[in-house]
Amino acid sequence: MDIISNLLIPIVNLDLLLLIAVGTFAGIYVGAIPGLSVTMAVSILISFTFSWEVYPALALMIGIYMGGVYGGSRTAILLNIPGAPSAIATALDGFPMAQQGRAGEAIGIVTVVSFIGGFLGIIALALFAPFLSDFAIGFQPRDFMLLAIMGILLVGSLSGDSLVKGVFAGALGIGIGAVGMDPLTVQDRFVFGIPDLRGGISFVAVMIGLFGVSETLAQLHSIHTPAVRQKITNIVPSWAKVRKHLPLGLQTSTIGTVVGALPGTGGDIAALMAYDHAQRVTRNPEVPFGKGAIEGLVAPETANNAAVGGAFIPMMTLGIPGDAVTAIMIGALFIHGLNPGPMLMIEQPDMFWFIVSSLTLANIFMLIFGLTGIRLFVRIVELPRTVLLPVIMVLSIVGAYAINNSVTDVYWMLGFGVLGYFMRLYGYPLAPIILGVILSRLLDDNWRRAIISERDDFGAMMMGIFTSPLSLSLFLAVVLIVATSTPWWKRWRARKAGVVASQGQKP
Amino acid sequence: MQNLFYGAALALGLATTPALAEYPERDIQGIIQWGAGGSTDTVSRSLTPHAEKILGASVILQNVTGGVGAIGLNQAERADADGYTLLFGAENPLLYKIMGLGDKDYADFVPINIIARGIPILVAQPDAPFDTFPEMIAYINENPGEVRFGSTGPGGLPSVVTAMINAKTPIDVTSVPYDGDGPALTALQGGAVDVMPAVLGAALEPVRAGNLKAIAIFDTQAVEQLPDTPAITDTNPEFADVLPWGPFFGVFVKAGTPDDVVAKLTDAYAQATQNADFLSMMDGRGFRMLSLSGAEAQEFLDTWQRQTAWTLFDAGIAKNSPEDFGIARP
Amino acid sequence: MTPTQPPAPAAVDPIPEPAPGRRPGELVFNIAILLASLFLLYSAYGISGFEALSAPGAVPMATTAIMSVCAIIILRDSLRKRSDTAQTVGRDILPLSVIVTIAMIAGYALALRPLGFLPTSVLFLLIMARFLSKRSWGFCLAVSVGTVLVIWIIFRLIFSVLMPQGIVPEGRIISAISSLF
Repeated sequence: MDIISNLLIPIVNLDLLLLIAVGTFAGIYVGAIPGLSVTMAVSILISFTFSWEVYPALALMIGIYMGGVYGGSRTAILLNIPGAPSAIATALDGFPMAQQGRAGEAIGIVTVVSFIGGFLGIIALALFAPFLSDFAIGFQPRDFMLLAIMGILLVGSLSGDSLVKGVFAGALGIGIGAVGMDPLTVQDRFVFGIPDLRGGISFVAVMIGLFGVSETLAQLHSIHTPAVRQKITNIVPSWAKVRKHLPLGLQTSTIGTVVGALPGTGGDIAALMAYDHAQRVTRNPEVPFGKGAIEGLVAPETANNAAVGGAFIPMMTLGIPGDAVTAIMIGALFIHGLNPGPMLMIEQPDMFWFIVSSLTLANIFMLIFGLTGIRLFVRIVELPRTVLLPVIMVLSIVGAYAINNSVTDVYWMLGFGVLGYFMRLYGYPLAPIILGVILSRLLDDNWRRAIISERDDFGAMMMGIFTSPLSLSLFLAVVLIVATSTPWWKRWRARKAGVVASQGQKP
Repeated sequence: MQNLFYGAALALGLATTPALAEYPERDIQGIIQWGAGGSTDTVSRSLTPHAEKILGASVILQNVTGGVGAIGLNQAERADADGYTLLFGAENPLLYKIMGLGDKDYADFVPINIIARGIPILVAQPDAPFDTFPEMIAYINENPGEVRFGSTGPGGLPSVVTAMINAKTPIDVTSVPYDGDGPALTALQGGAVDVMPAVLGAALEPVRAGNLKAIAIFDTQAVEQLPDTPAITDTNPEFADVLPWGPFFGVFVKAGTPDDVVAKLTDAYAQATQNADFLSMMDGRGFRMLSLSGAEAQEFLDTWQRQTAWTLFDAGIAKNSPEDFGIARP
Repeated sequence: MTPTQPPAPAAVDPIPEPAPGRRPGELVFNIAILLASLFLLYSAYGISGFEALSAPGAVPMATTAIMSVCAIIILRDSLRKRSDTAQTVGRDILPLSVIVTIAMIAGYALALRPLGFLPTSVLFLLIMARFLSKRSWGFCLAVSVGTVLVIWIIFRLIFSVLMPQGIVPEGRIISAISSLF
């Protein structure tokens, strides 16, 4: 009974309902503009909502969070500039769709599957939070290391034509992620005596450079060809289409929820792993991946929104943040006089159900605001490029500057923009670089933690992997992924398929 | 060119204040050395709204992270010494010189307010085979190298506390480094490390829930939040000469800022730290209020630096000798 | 081609596949990539050498070694390709518009601090829009002022991102605006 009355708090209080709506609406734009991040917006809200009660403050933050994770897909699809790291995978198939005049269709399906993913994440939070948090907190450094290796292996599916170039790009990404002072040993790495490099290269600057700037430079080649006319029918996807992709969405939502619940990994990694999963399980996509496959949109967008509910799981049950945004919300709870920790669920269960209910409402508002106004949005792509490209450039520069109020980040953005431009021209894939940067710290830090824990004894570390069920399953998953991407396996599969096919043809 | 713009602004009636108006005449920028959601961030963001009311201007807070806080500190140091850029920092810059992380530290700044101090606490997994500090030392000595201590890298609180313990009773433990005390405490609850010297505020909630076991308060007196946990000096009085010690938070402006501006900021932040809501939040998070300013604050910084720098140097963690920077042995 | 490879996608693909021949500058770029990789490998070795498996330089050395090996293979493959004589550097790799744009962004970054956000952005947009679209100065000025105003309102007023104010007394304007309310 208490649960229901707590669930009803944000619904019956009109001001809370309104705040969630406003937050979600603002969040979509925060997410869509590169350089404005949900983390930044929620930090600002801490000071802004300082004198408020705790419920309205959280309502606004939750709205921004939900809307922001979804909003990143907008610019990824329309301009090939992911508004947030969790939308990188969305750009891989979303932008090709926009180039084919199907931007409206892409945004429509993304909105609906984001809603489904978000909803499944919330259900997991409401029903399985204690179980999932026990599971997530049990991850040892070696497990995070294996997870990172699994992630790195996605290079194979992001490489396009040339695997060697893909591997090169992935390794470059890991190297970029290592630049700066290593926080574990305070040792400088790739700093070359430049003080500004100590803090590392801003990941968002790399992302805006590689995607946004290199894309605008490449588009200068064809600046006078008229923009693609966008179809504005078919925006709200049919039920048949949604149902077709629902099984995949369920699987990728599970990936999103679990990866979101792990402390230290969030929607960005979840979305990339989901994209890879989609490539593995989709036998015959209507359009190949990377050229506008619907599955390439469904997977990352369900996963990153499911990761929102996932991130709240360790926060609500243990006071441990699942990602950067929930870390700030924990700070906000402290400021409002609460003590987020394992006792919060016991001492103040109303807070838990209030958050579940607010997330659900934010998810519904996301669907409503997401589906309205698409027609207006897709017009952006139809603007003359001679005007649109300079505006994108200024937005990219401002976005890079805003990350740390630093001109250095603008130079990095330009540098990676130029590098990305040449890499594009000479057939290097760019997505593996971003993958490498995202996974660099996860891999490097946890590899070292795992081996330090065993006093630099590699054998003991492997023993640890073989004796823990969780580590062993992750290890076997890595082995399986490697084995199935070897040419021998592919040849064997093809021969088997060939035999089956020829047998089928026999009268 | 500049005059032209001022002129235009004046003509529009926008710039209503004369050039030498009373400080503050515009928004103040606040640089937080550490990331959003951390202790420094939470303390800065909950204190500043009270100071804003007194100052009558808004302070726009921004996290500038990286390089153990050195990136934010350098950015604040590059700004003009006009009081329009504040630095919200923790204890780390006092160790930059000896750790080889840079040649700027709080010597290039004027302390506005040293807000509060954290209290270190030793926590262990709930099923650890020891309950008190002497038992823990005995267990470590029986199992050399087996016990894993959570750490936050050289110079962080766990490394200093471990160095202090080592100076009294040498112990053979494996330090596993994490990005901060949050991730390290998570690892402790997940069983990846066995013991962790942490700041009380971060460990309080899991201890109260029984997810972690408190071994000792690393201070000269027990705390009211955990009345059953003894202070380390109760069992091992030899630690009394290095304690009390703990991380701290402060607000700083660049050295050379006009005295009246410093006075105004000092007054605003001193009043803000007396706010009842702020005090109860700090108490809930297990911080000990200091609210030091002026000569008192400078004295606190100097003592802290001398003591910690030499502890780390004697433990072989520091890269440079404190002597090279004129930091005398305490 | 091995028989197991799927057939090439049909011609609906809007992005042209990279030319089968070696593009102009490709060899130079791949050599530069190899040299950079080797330099980074040397630099990674300098972090901690072969001290321990858990040393801070272990992963950087492994990744830069992979980069170097890949760069060698890439260079070998590009040497085997025949040069594509139909393309030229000036038209297909670095046309004037690309060079101008890169220089303009670098100029923007240089001018941002001394000049301030508002004038730098208006100037940048004005010049770029005029250069690319060849439309009238009035149109370009309207576009640039309008865009900068919208960006300024979103970033500075709503999200409190402090852009360098340079020669415009922005802080005073804002406090004057806010004192009106």
